[in-house]
Amino acid sequence: MTERDFSTRPRRRAARPLDLALLAVGAAALLLSAYATVNAWNGRQRARARVEETRNELQAAQSRVRELEAQREPAQAVAYQALLTVEAPPPSVLADLVALMPGDVRLDAVNLSYGEPLGVRVDVVARNAPAYDLFLDRLQRSPRFADVLPGDENRDGELRTSIQMTYRPR
Amino acid sequence: MRRSRPRLFVALDAGSVSGGAVAWSAAGFRLASHARVPLPEGALVPAPFAPNVVRPAEVADALRELARTLRIGAAPVCLLLPDGIARLARLEVPADVTPQQYARFRIVPGLPYPAEEAVIDVLPLAGGRAVVAAVRRAVVEGYEAVAAQSGLAQDRLDLTPLAALSGLLRDPGDARALTVDVILGDAAFCLAAHQGGALRALRNRRRDPGPDEDRRLAEEVQRTAFLAGDGAGPRVRVVGDGAGDLLARWRHTGGAAEPGWRSAEPSAGAEASELAWLGGAVA
Repeated sequence: MTERDFSTRPRRRAARPLDLALLAVGAAALLLSAYATVNAWNGRQRARARVEETRNELQAAQSRVRELEAQREPAQAVAYQALLTVEAPPPSVLADLVALMPGDVRLDAVNLSYGEPLGVRVDVVARNAPAYDLFLDRLQRSPRFADVLPGDENRDGELRTSIQMTYRPR
Repeated sequence: MRRSRPRLFVALDAGSVSGGAVAWSAAGFRLASHARVPLPEGALVPAPFAPNVVRPAEVADALRELARTLRIGAAPVCLLLPDGIARLARLEVPADVTPQQYARFRIVPGLPYPAEEAVIDVLPLAGGRAVVAAVRRAVVEGYEAVAAQSGLAQDRLDLTPLAALSGLLRDPGDARALTVDVILGDAAFCLAAHQGGALRALRNRRRDPGPDEDRRLAEEVQRTAFLAGDGAGPRVRVVGDGAGDLLARWRHTGGAAEPGWRSAEPSAGAEASELAWLGGAVA
């Protein structure tokens, strides 16, 4: 096992034959993975187009719902907002959210909109795609969250995205 | 009995620089040599962000005196930096990633300096856990510069609390009982609660010297035991500068604690439990 070393210029050792062999294996694996990536990329582009189409339809439906909600009496909306603030204070919402997060996922920002329903928008960073998928799956299965809508994903290294959802108070 | 070869350590803290040649065996530490040189107040101030070596000439003088006393010469030494400069955290590391990489994901975004300035290393633990430490590069460079200025040949560079913890976890004690280890530094201290070799809680606090610090330390021990899921009378061990006095005062007030480790042999005029950095010999 390598000893801990916090030096800003850590010691370097000469490459051994095993290191060179591993380098060659790594180069071969890189070529293979590049070929596989090109194939996967084409499939991904097709899937993205389908997802985008579905998302547009969903957003149009949500806009319509919001328009209908906006027609409600203002006094009723304020009363509901006050009730929600009591029934679902931010620490409770956050605790329910954090309880669903795998260790490989962290939150960069959380936005709560106290309306009817209580809207939650989170900026998420996941160390890898499976962790993000697990988080999404948990959110979708959770009785506390509904209307889970994942945003565009940036998969440049870490996965960064935002998720919109609504919260159901207990 | 298996025994490690003696290695040279030089530890820096706010109050002094100390070091020696240390070997480790199952019977305990063996100090082949040991020396300690006090530092003028304010010459070195352990802190996580600002430069720590406030008056480099005075620190370098103390290191030169230490090197002369220990006859270090050109031999490479392991430098140990004090508690209070690093962000420490206990992590459960996924199987598909190294603790260093995982620390960059979990810990570094919360640091108040750019990610590329963080120097990270880990103390691996059983069961996929690790203690990770992130130190600001500029802080480390200050220590490296003063060591070079004093003529020390730097081998590797470790943190005293991590070195101490690795030594203490080598002897985790009774697997049925919780142990809380207190690692004292001049500017900060660590509390580690573990049972059966599994680290359950790790806390890192700044020191606040004063007449009631003993009581507050005892309360922190209880708090740590509670956090670890067992608030009822853990075994308590202490290492670090002032450990002997603290143990005596705790005993006087009815508390029960013991030194974190002892010397295997008579040891160059030093009480082993006073030297937290001795744990580096088992790393």
